[in-house]
Amino acid sequence: MRQAGTYSGILSGGISGKTGPHLLPLARIKKIMKKSGEDVKMISGESPIVFSKACELFIKELTQRSWMVTMQGKRRTLNKEDVASAVMATDLFDFLVNLVSESGEATTPLEMDTSNYS
Amino acid sequence: MAEAPAPASPGGGSHESGEQSPRSNVREQDRYLPIANISRIMKKALPANGKVAKDAKETVQECVSEFISFITSEASDKCQKEKRKTINGDDLLWAMATLGFEDYIDPLKIYLSRYREMEGDTKGSAKGGDASAKKDVQPSPNAQLAHQGSFSQGFSYGNSQVISHSLTPLTKLSDGSDPRHRVEITPTAIPII
Repeated sequence: MRQAGTYSGILSGGISGKTGPHLLPLARIKKIMKKSGEDVKMISGESPIVFSKACELFIKELTQRSWMVTMQGKRRTLNKEDVASAVMATDLFDFLVNLVSESGEATTPLEMDTSNYS
Repeated sequence: MAEAPAPASPGGGSHESGEQSPRSNVREQDRYLPIANISRIMKKALPANGKVAKDAKETVQECVSEFISFITSEASDKCQKEKRKTINGDDLLWAMATLGFEDYIDPLKIYLSRYREMEGDTKGSAKGGDASAKKDVQPSPNAQLAHQGSFSQGFSYGNSQVISHSLTPLTKLSDGSDPRHRVEITPTAIPII
């Protein structure tokens, strides 16, 4: 039979040892899913669970990429601009470009280059 | 950061994030995941001496909601095309793979199978669908995969038979984690078929 021990490493590392099986609230995930579009009406019970893990992976990846920017700046505090820079630098995060450039004053390298021209 | 998820506080939706938040006070609890949870996950991804500014947490919080919408929309389109009404987990996995998040698929499958296992223990026969879907990561092709055929053939998603011949295409993994490795373990760790 299956043994929980086989997976406990995955569980404690990937989900959480403390906060129950899911690290993110499923009801909230479902709400956000439903706001994604008018066509989104029915969601299987499993979908928020998939997202609870997917969001965790996403947050980790975004954080790690942002942290690399923080490190390049020889800082120890990850800030909003680091996140924006990480988004700009990563194709995978293209869908976030508008969001980070709206909410932040992320300076894009391209804009800075053209300013030299005059 | 020790804030709790913002309770329903009229007009004060962003109170926990201070005045610098650019967000409107649309009910935050409808739009975002709790910032405390986000913060916890972010810190886990950083070295012990790393700190996260409040504005970075808020930005990530917004990004996560955008991520959910992005994937959900794609999955929803697929369901519409296939004239199905309910978005299920497989649709989401498909959408993620389509949109470039194929690295997430294997960890997610493991997570799901683990979840289904726990559900199976408690609910058992209550959800027949889950019981059959549970076999996804085991080396036994099943009906569910069959009707998801277009996807499971194209991507390394599904049972071990697919995994085994897709090891090479999957070598690109962004961060240190190696979901492939864990997936390889799965079939052997579950000797029952």
